[in-house]
Amino acid sequence: MPGCCNCLSSCKPRYKRLVDSIFPADPEDGLVRSNMEKLTFYAVSHNEKLDRIGGYLAHRLDRDVYRQRIGYVVISMQALDQLLLACHAQSLNLFVESFLRMVHKLLESNMPELQILGTNSFVKFSQIEEDTPSYHRTYDFFISKFASMCHNNSDHAETRRKIRLAGLKGLQGVVRKTVSDELQVNIWDTTYMDKIVPSFLFNMNEGFDSHESPVHDHPEEKPEVLADSCLRDVMRRAAYANIHTVIKPVLKHLDLHELWVPNNFAIKVFKGIMYSIQSQYRYVTPHFLLLHLDEHMKNTPKIKRSIVEILKEIVAIAADGAVGPSVLEIFNTLLRHLRMSVDERLSGGQASSTDRSASSSKKTKQKFDENEEILFEEAIIDTIGAFANILPDYQKIEIMMFIMGKVPMPRDRSSTVLQEEDHPLSLEPKGEGDILVQDMLLKSLLEVGTKYTTVSMATTFPASFFQPLLNMSVITNPGIRVIVQEILHTLIDRRDNVIKLYANRGIVKNIADLELKCEKASRQDIMFMRKHGAEFQWHIFENLIRVKNTTKNFVAIYCTMALLCVELGTDDILVDLVKLALALQDHACDPNCKMPLTHLYAIHSIVAQYLNLIGQLTAIPSLCQHISQVIEERRKSAPYLLPPISVEDKVPATSPRGVAPDLLFHVDSISEALASSGHDVTRLSLPYIHVQEPQNVDTRPRSLTDVGSINVDFELLHSSPTAGRKRPPEEVTFESLKQVLISGINDSSAEDERQKRLDVLHSFQNSTLDELAAAADTRNEKWQQKLNDILDTVTKSPQTPAGSPTRPDPSTPLQFQSIPTYEMKFPELCVY
Amino acid sequence: MEDYKYLFKVVLIGNAGVGKTCLVRRFTQGLFPPGQGATIGVDFMIKTVEIGGEKVKLQIWDTAGQERFRSITQSYYHSADALVLVFDVTSTETFNALPSWLKEVEQYASPKVISVLVGNKIDLASDREVTNEEAETFADTHDMRLLETSAKESDNVDKLFLDIAVELTNNVRNSDIKNSLSEDPIRDHSSVSFCCRT
Repeated sequence: MPGCCNCLSSCKPRYKRLVDSIFPADPEDGLVRSNMEKLTFYAVSHNEKLDRIGGYLAHRLDRDVYRQRIGYVVISMQALDQLLLACHAQSLNLFVESFLRMVHKLLESNMPELQILGTNSFVKFSQIEEDTPSYHRTYDFFISKFASMCHNNSDHAETRRKIRLAGLKGLQGVVRKTVSDELQVNIWDTTYMDKIVPSFLFNMNEGFDSHESPVHDHPEEKPEVLADSCLRDVMRRAAYANIHTVIKPVLKHLDLHELWVPNNFAIKVFKGIMYSIQSQYRYVTPHFLLLHLDEHMKNTPKIKRSIVEILKEIVAIAADGAVGPSVLEIFNTLLRHLRMSVDERLSGGQASSTDRSASSSKKTKQKFDENEEILFEEAIIDTIGAFANILPDYQKIEIMMFIMGKVPMPRDRSSTVLQEEDHPLSLEPKGEGDILVQDMLLKSLLEVGTKYTTVSMATTFPASFFQPLLNMSVITNPGIRVIVQEILHTLIDRRDNVIKLYANRGIVKNIADLELKCEKASRQDIMFMRKHGAEFQWHIFENLIRVKNTTKNFVAIYCTMALLCVELGTDDILVDLVKLALALQDHACDPNCKMPLTHLYAIHSIVAQYLNLIGQLTAIPSLCQHISQVIEERRKSAPYLLPPISVEDKVPATSPRGVAPDLLFHVDSISEALASSGHDVTRLSLPYIHVQEPQNVDTRPRSLTDVGSINVDFELLHSSPTAGRKRPPEEVTFESLKQVLISGINDSSAEDERQKRLDVLHSFQNSTLDELAAAADTRNEKWQQKLNDILDTVTKSPQTPAGSPTRPDPSTPLQFQSIPTYEMKFPELCVY
Repeated sequence: MEDYKYLFKVVLIGNAGVGKTCLVRRFTQGLFPPGQGATIGVDFMIKTVEIGGEKVKLQIWDTAGQERFRSITQSYYHSADALVLVFDVTSTETFNALPSWLKEVEQYASPKVISVLVGNKIDLASDREVTNEEAETFADTHDMRLLETSAKESDNVDKLFLDIAVELTNNVRNSDIKNSLSEDPIRDHSSVSFCCRT
């Protein structure tokens, strides 16, 4: 032993003498540097002695702390730090034990200086990468103590700041030390994260509230800044399985500290989380927020709105990663909340208060605030839009269909007519609710729709989406019909033309001023229009002649028509659109038309505006000439027949109902003009016959509406062959041949049956009960047979979700497709 | 080298303003701080006592009573060896809150934890709203010990913590007995003494 001969001066072993020598006689003098170097050299060269040095230093430190000799404590820690940094050997492991014991000792002290000193040493230690595993090390106390320091409430502001900073750094150190080493304690355990995360948030919020806190030179010296970066640091390291242990305390903290309203802080926190979380897990955060929203189901709309707004904020950050695997679930949750909010609003806050528990009744006693609910609903719609925005297009269609499926449909077509007529029986108790729900859901749909870019009409409008949408376009409420039109706008419009067309302005002299972007419609789109054009036209027509229409409705419908023309207006489709316009004009001129004068004028205005647009787009000179001639005539003698449209203004009582022939567009001139440019005008010569439901049956009680809908069937059967047969004659295909065969059969039988039905209806309405009963017996047999015929044809036809008349293309059998038809109780009704 | 034989964690819980911090201060520092502000989060104190000739270190975690800190305070229950559930004898409200506190204890604390019910502020006898009998009944039904204290007058404060220390020490020793020689359980406080400053 070479050390033996040096031991003479003291009985102490060499390492103890070396340790003792670093302490000066007066603690004010600080660490004796030269001796410290000797100690370091000794420790590095005698690794095996390191744990003893540590033990001895710890022993001294204990004593110094107990005697409150702070100067020596500081020196001990300095020595420890230096040794720690100097020795990267395997034997560091044992040394660390005594080191941590010393830090522990310092942290237990009540003196802020010692706590900070201990923390600083710990932070230095946390930066050392150990290469040997340490199985039995535990950080329980450190985490508890550091978290407690983060909440320090010292009266002295500077001390408070320093201790809080130290606590944050300590926690950061623990995380850094443990997170990468699987053998160490699992820092992601909830018992730890429940301490760590609230400590970060508490400090972030403290600084968030007081922006005027004295600015320090180093932003790192501000607890709120440090806490923020700590939280991000933790989030960055979190693996999928650990995310919930971080996010749940965050949500709980925000709940308990009531930080949802106002939500600036919550947004900041969640943005931080979203920016730092590993990108493949980004969708988890919105998911947790949605779950949290569910938990707050019964809470005030203010809080829910805040949560939803946060969702909206963070969704954009996540970009395409925000949705994750459960797309529909997200929308389902949001729509469910939307629905509940509407229900709440309808019941004036009473709906859910009955089933709330007594303990929370205090909260429910708060005055029900309808405005808050409305704001909440708007926030949901915005958020739905934000989610939709990040979806790929094909999913947007799915979402639109999903939302459409949630929209309550009018029960059947006759019921909408009933409401239109303000029939007392139409005042269903659920009516208002349905309208609100429809309103909200369609707004959501519009929000999604605006995010969608249409490529091909057929993909944009799958039948299961298109049909209900069109059905919605003719419901009673004019406000909702405007929304439906806007949905159509955004979906039909592909080249940002809608803003150029969607305005209530006068006749545009030169269409080039609008700078419309037109391209030739693709083949698929033409196919789509061939298939669905008639439906479009029917619904547009039906829509325009509604008595409740407002100016907005007219403008919106015009825009839809114009978009159809711009996007899809080629050849035969263009001719169809012209035909529609002319049919509208005819309808407005019909002396039997019961519409108010203002509406008639509005229709004339739209026709003029529309034909003007078509004329200018096609640039057929003779067409333009005719149109501009008529418009000029109107401008001179009847400016009320020109846009801008305004149905709300009163028309002078002297205004004529009829319109002079030279103020009208003439089908002959137009068809000539179109023919001159090579358009096939044969179909123009067949008048468009718009079939409305007969309304004479509507005075019956609602339970009999089935019969009413049967009437509709036969009316349609009659009209469909004319309106539907639109194939140019030269196009002899298999389809057209088939159509000829089918329609040949249908024409006769349909006409026949219709006549009989009308006869019966007539007698039902005009005869007495006795007469009917007598007549019923004799007719019963005949009727039964007819009924079988009808049922046969009906069961063959495909069904559409809502009972609306579809006008399928001529190749399919022309039947009315309505579900209730199957369930008709026909024989009973006929007998009495 | 070790300066203690056993280390126990004691966590104080109870409504805001019942005097948890004052109890801890009285015990650890021997002073009664008038106008003590509300605790934020969790405070920490340490006190070493000698029980049966052995040094026992008590880590005392003094939690905030305010509801907004509930999330962080709950996380401290888990590792506690003893829970001190404090209420204010001059406030029925704090007494009525006890069942919900017990529920939290059940939910978050370890099943082996000892809990002690403490009615504080008995010096304010004239304002007393919760009688000793009520508190006693409550403690009995929930199988807890009741101690009425006054942090201001230092009544029963030391006894409270020392009882806990003794009970915990005995528990540990009893479990030690199973694998080593038996030691007499400590029966009274005569063998108990303070030994350390913090």
